[in-house]
Amino acid sequence: MIESRLKRILTDGQFAVTAECGPPKGADPEVIRRKGNLLKSYVDSINVTDNQTGVVRLSSLAACVILRQEGLDPVLQMVTRDRNRIALQSDVLGASALGIRNILCLSGDHQSLGNQQEAKGVFDIDSMQLIQTVRRMRDKGIILGGDQLSSMPDLFVGAVENPFGDPQSYRVARLAKKVGAGAEFIQTQSIYNVARFREFMTEARDRGLDKKVFILGGVTPLKSARMAEYMRDKVAGMDVPEEIITRMKAAPAKEQRSEGIRIAVETIQALRQMEGVRGVHIMAIEWEEAVPELVEKAGLLPRPAI
Amino acid sequence: MITAERKPFAEIKASIAPYKRILVVGCGTCVAECAAGGEKEVALLASQLRLDADHEGRTVDIKEITLDRQCVYEFIDQLFPLVDEYDAILSLGCGAGVQAVAEVLPKIHIVPALNTTGISETREQGVWLEDCRGCGDCKLDLFADVCPITRCAKGLFNGPCGGSKGGHCEVDPDAPCAWHLIVTRLEETGRLKSMDEIQPPANWARAQGKGPRKCVREDQKTS
Amino acid sequence: MIANRSEAHVAVFFCRQLDPEQDANRRSLEKELGSGIRFFPMPCSGRIEALHLLKALETGARKVYLITCPQGACRYGQGNVRARKRLDYAKSLIREIGLSDDCFEMIVAQGPLPLSIGDLARELLGRTADEPDSSKEKQAGTNPAAYLAK
Repeated sequence: MIESRLKRILTDGQFAVTAECGPPKGADPEVIRRKGNLLKSYVDSINVTDNQTGVVRLSSLAACVILRQEGLDPVLQMVTRDRNRIALQSDVLGASALGIRNILCLSGDHQSLGNQQEAKGVFDIDSMQLIQTVRRMRDKGIILGGDQLSSMPDLFVGAVENPFGDPQSYRVARLAKKVGAGAEFIQTQSIYNVARFREFMTEARDRGLDKKVFILGGVTPLKSARMAEYMRDKVAGMDVPEEIITRMKAAPAKEQRSEGIRIAVETIQALRQMEGVRGVHIMAIEWEEAVPELVEKAGLLPRPAI
Repeated sequence: MITAERKPFAEIKASIAPYKRILVVGCGTCVAECAAGGEKEVALLASQLRLDADHEGRTVDIKEITLDRQCVYEFIDQLFPLVDEYDAILSLGCGAGVQAVAEVLPKIHIVPALNTTGISETREQGVWLEDCRGCGDCKLDLFADVCPITRCAKGLFNGPCGGSKGGHCEVDPDAPCAWHLIVTRLEETGRLKSMDEIQPPANWARAQGKGPRKCVREDQKTS
Repeated sequence: MIANRSEAHVAVFFCRQLDPEQDANRRSLEKELGSGIRFFPMPCSGRIEALHLLKALETGARKVYLITCPQGACRYGQGNVRARKRLDYAKSLIREIGLSDDCFEMIVAQGPLPLSIGDLARELLGRTADEPDSSKEKQAGTNPAAYLAK
């Protein structure tokens, strides 16, 4: 009986640690195995991105299966950009059948951002509708349209939220809506503005959302001052305060990575102190090697035994 | 109106290359409104074609005519007696216009000169913004009269996504975030509560049909 | 390159506000060059349409000038601004055919107004005849630089 380690950790009241793993732009399963084994004892679950930024990569579903085979607890990220409801629901069943126990529902980055700009963006349903659909498949055994399934998928359902997107006034309401749709855990966009995230959490708690959903704060360690500036200027919905940029710039080039780790550790420590934050989601894109150091320095080792 | 843009000259030139006697046909309705295929644009294209031919030492016979509407047979019928005088018709109608003309005049090559782009409003003179994708299942009332299918790059019914910044869309920073517009308008008219409801998936069957959609009004038919 | 002045084949679209005596002032040049020069007075340079410019070429002109009022001096406000945009559009249509877009040139007249359209046209012809590259100015007649600014 395969169960979700992520769900277990969270329901047991432990501070969860998840990390992101980007599949290769190629067919070699070894890349996934290597990344998985690198992260193994440092995280509770591993998210696999779904053709992130519209760039063709080894599929999230396949990569999750490979991780599963390595004894890890994968989180299948599923975007609505590429597949219609037939394919999405089908993959939900397939994922469950292959032992995947966590799913993260997103709309996905627009296809115009990637390397297949002429592709048709499907967007048959959106992330909110996908959350509802997966919950209904799991809890009621029905698909969209009402047909009955012969057996139900077993998945812990998550969604993303960006506390720093606009309109600002609407962000917590949007979180509430995702909870209403059936999201059981939330992984947020990367946090650099801790103060602002604290305000977001206060408002979320005021609405009682922290009791209804497990919120994991997103953290991305900065590799360089240039990366910090890039995040600030080029990535939509990112809030990178000036102090962070200044700190990164103040460090000599060779020490910027260490400074980036330091900032990330401080952020994680702040998250651990925040009421309602139940874990951290580390998105060290193409820098998975930084995760073990980060987790260790943040005092999150050893990971609990189940 | 239906908006279109003129195809690049090189493309048009290549399509009519085999022909000497060409009738350039415009449309006085939608494409005239968006300055793509009206009488003026017909004149400009004809002029370009003549100048080009002259420059290359070719002889061409380019004539111009603009119909009130290119999608209604009664207007296309005017072309019927002219057909034998030309080798091809270069149509500056929208996709419907081109196809209607081809339906009425199947024996002559009808070459499209425009790329039909959408159903739009004239936001300001010289600027046309797409508003409608013809989904056949209008839900504008649920979205404060801002169509999410057309104006949200991801077609979200429960937006905004995480990339909305400063009221702009992450995909096209020049475009407003449709959901920002929706939320703002609902807020300003005291209807924000409606956003709590989760909108179900669209019925795309109405947009796709089983091929080309057909509207029939028996009461409007003559036989 | 125009060798013979009588084959100037020049079209001059210009704003009437530049020269209220334009009818008289252009007569001597018209007599001298006959069909080699055509004048098109306009109520405002902003009324120019790409089609006018292309038609001028179609009917024999090799160079078409659009002369506008000085910056800020358009009686109707934005006319000379609009003229620029429309001229640029006409140029893009010419480039599309693969021809050189310097067949159309906008000249922003310099003050003080009024000027003599006949004198200005002579100046332009001087450039057209001797310098195929019209970015060079020709010094001739009465203080040409006073009339011309790009």
